[in-house]
Amino acid sequence: MSDALFRNEPVSSTPYLADGVSISLAAPLKRYSLRARSAEALETVLNVKVPQKIGATEGGIACLGPDEWLLRTPADTAVPTGAELPVAITDISERAIGLVVEGPRAAELLMTGCPLDLDNFAVGRATRTIYETVEIIIIREGEDRFHVEVWRSFAAWLWTAFTAAASH
Amino acid sequence: MILIHCPYCDEKRPEIEFANAGQAHVARPLDPSSQSDEEWEAYLFIRANPRGRHHERWRHVHGCGRFFNAVRDTVTDKFETTYKAGEPRR
Repeated sequence: MSDALFRNEPVSSTPYLADGVSISLAAPLKRYSLRARSAEALETVLNVKVPQKIGATEGGIACLGPDEWLLRTPADTAVPTGAELPVAITDISERAIGLVVEGPRAAELLMTGCPLDLDNFAVGRATRTIYETVEIIIIREGEDRFHVEVWRSFAAWLWTAFTAAASH
Repeated sequence: MILIHCPYCDEKRPEIEFANAGQAHVARPLDPSSQSDEEWEAYLFIRANPRGRHHERWRHVHGCGRFFNAVRDTVTDKFETTYKAGEPRR
């Protein structure tokens, strides 16, 4: 039966190249939703530093809210389950896909539909926000590089919106 | 576009990231079964509709996800202040 199982991505695996910006599908990742009353509780379980400030990232962990973090990690990493501890570590790997928007016009492209001022969005910051009507998570990985997490069911629409905006 | 200060993110964010969640400081009676029908109706359905200063609950739904309280002028749509849930009425 496993022969029939293969990854079926909602968007093209061929990067879209336009003037000053490229849009591509990120490699498959493990994603975990981390919930706890304090960052310290998660640090004890995961044995890594967990950012305290909303919007900060630290080694693949982004702080999205006062009690919510998103952990992105390579597909072969083992993550503790946190069973019987006062934390919730939930595997949400297949809920979203990642799009990488790269190039000198990357911020401009995202701002066609996202109301945040991404010119003043520091490298290393992450936030949940909205593009037109679709909820996304933006992580600025570099001056010209953004990682955009979007729910799988919205991804085809977002890809179309991004490529249409990039071609203008 | 209006910018709303989220007390949890501690920054001004665009209004489309937020959702209004009705009047603030409506406390659920501690012992619902002791309430008369009129009292329960008042708790469930009767809301203030002031012209001017209004205390409201808002949620930063496309952001940190938290509920907070805001004082908004219903005439000018200006936000006077926002503060975390659980803090005293301002």
